[in-house]
Amino acid sequence: MIEVERLSKRFGPVTAVDDLSFTVRPGRVTGFLGPNGAGKSTTMRVILGLDAPTSGRALVGGRRYDGLIRPLREVGSLLDATALHPGRSGWAHLRSMAQANGIGQQRVTDVLRLTGLEGVARRRVGGFSLGMKQRLGIAAALLGDPPVLMFDEPVNGLDPEGILWIRGFFRELAADGRTVLVSSHLMSEMAQVADHLVVIGRGRLLADVSTAELIESSARRDVLLRSPRAAELAELIAKQGGAVTPQDDGALVVTGLDAAAVGDLAAEHGIAVHALVPRQASLEDAYLDLTGDSTDYRGGLR
Amino acid sequence: MSAPSLPIRALDLLASEWTKFRSVRSTYWSLLVAIVTPVAFSAVVAFAFANSRGHGPPPDPLLPEVISLEYAVIAVSVMGVLAFTAEYSTGLIRVTFTAAPRRRAVLAAKAAVLAAVTLAAGELVAFASFGLVQAVLAGHREGVSLGHPGVPGAVLSAGLLLCVCAMLGLALGAVIRHTAGGIAATIAVILVPGILALLPSPWNGRIGRFTLLEAAQQVSVLHPATDLFSPAWSLLVVLAWPAAALAAAAVVITRRDA
Repeated sequence: MIEVERLSKRFGPVTAVDDLSFTVRPGRVTGFLGPNGAGKSTTMRVILGLDAPTSGRALVGGRRYDGLIRPLREVGSLLDATALHPGRSGWAHLRSMAQANGIGQQRVTDVLRLTGLEGVARRRVGGFSLGMKQRLGIAAALLGDPPVLMFDEPVNGLDPEGILWIRGFFRELAADGRTVLVSSHLMSEMAQVADHLVVIGRGRLLADVSTAELIESSARRDVLLRSPRAAELAELIAKQGGAVTPQDDGALVVTGLDAAAVGDLAAEHGIAVHALVPRQASLEDAYLDLTGDSTDYRGGLR
Repeated sequence: MSAPSLPIRALDLLASEWTKFRSVRSTYWSLLVAIVTPVAFSAVVAFAFANSRGHGPPPDPLLPEVISLEYAVIAVSVMGVLAFTAEYSTGLIRVTFTAAPRRRAVLAAKAAVLAAVTLAAGELVAFASFGLVQAVLAGHREGVSLGHPGVPGAVLSAGLLLCVCAMLGLALGAVIRHTAGGIAATIAVILVPGILALLPSPWNGRIGRFTLLEAAQQVSVLHPATDLFSPAWSLLVVLAWPAAALAAAAVVITRRDA
């Protein structure tokens, strides 16, 4: 379990994290979501004791990270897969981390096999592709077989096959009963893997909900309708309490009545219907609704 | 799982840093330069000494060895600086500190590994150079033997210089966190005070006795200079430089975000 309690972190005049509280529970994949610059990485660095919070605190398994004796056995993390000495082999990199935590050589071999790197383990990592470095970082996170795992933008640089592999991998870790926190700025990515979402923007908590709930709560649901007798049908719908918004191309967008009700109504009055499409806002839309006001860097084409 | 005892944790960290140290090529290149350059140079300096006697008193028979040792200073300083800055520049330091959140323990482990290696290298260089220099000087009837009073201590002390400079580099690397800046600062701290030798007497000695290289020479020659500290005090000066730098590193390393 990871507990973030009223955490704030300021860098000079910039507030990166602002009174943030949330809890990451075991047994599910929690997506840590927010636009670039929202404070995700800063929060993770504070959890790992790398950055000192300005106020508040972060606990892992009820303790501060810098109080952990053999931290890799409690928390596995991957912040930046490229943070490697280019001249060192993957094996030596993992071995040095393992030794610092009293983890044996066999486990190093095991995690290399688990991540499919056993064939290149003795090569210097300077020649690794970004995808291979990501795998090495994941191997490092697994070294201590920890109950808590944290990954910052782990999908970056992976090829489609690697992405599928990593998604399955996160689900397996969560199914094992582990606490898994995965950050991303891409909702579409999180929708594929996360059971629960912590959404932040400008360092503040925007939502702490299950993925399904988030879609449910901020989803615009409506029905797209096309009919040769649209105007007539619009009147009938309005009488039944639905709201109708005519579109430029002659279609109607109906809210307040679902597709079945609209279809029945048309049938009752013998009105032909050419299209009847129930529409649901995507998770991406829900996310944009949430973070719309909190994006630091907005594109100019609006 | 019960918490492992402190000695075991210390050994774990030492093993970890030892693995890092020996798994990059720069370690071996730096050591090669640090050992070969001064040994080779000592013979050259000894010949020069032997062949350029003027009218003054005969030069200190240990001086060629000491002077040539100074040519290894840059190599070991760079080694020391890189111990931390190579990790800061790649971001690897965050991996290191997540694996070992007790940062002062990391500093101590890195220092211990580097100190052991550079001390061994320094003594190797000191004794090898001594042998070479005395072989050259013996041909000119100016050599001293290792059995000569004061010689073993002086040669041993000379061997300290590489370790001292490596520790200085390591500490300044941890404080400055950038390779170029760390190297510049370390070289400056070691070499720039040499300018003080140009001050008019007695100020050259009064200030010079606090400088690392002057103090290091004072402990490593057979006939110490009279305007500097005694060899015992000079040894303290030599050790105080890296001690102060390491203390500064220990203070800042826990205070800053990694």
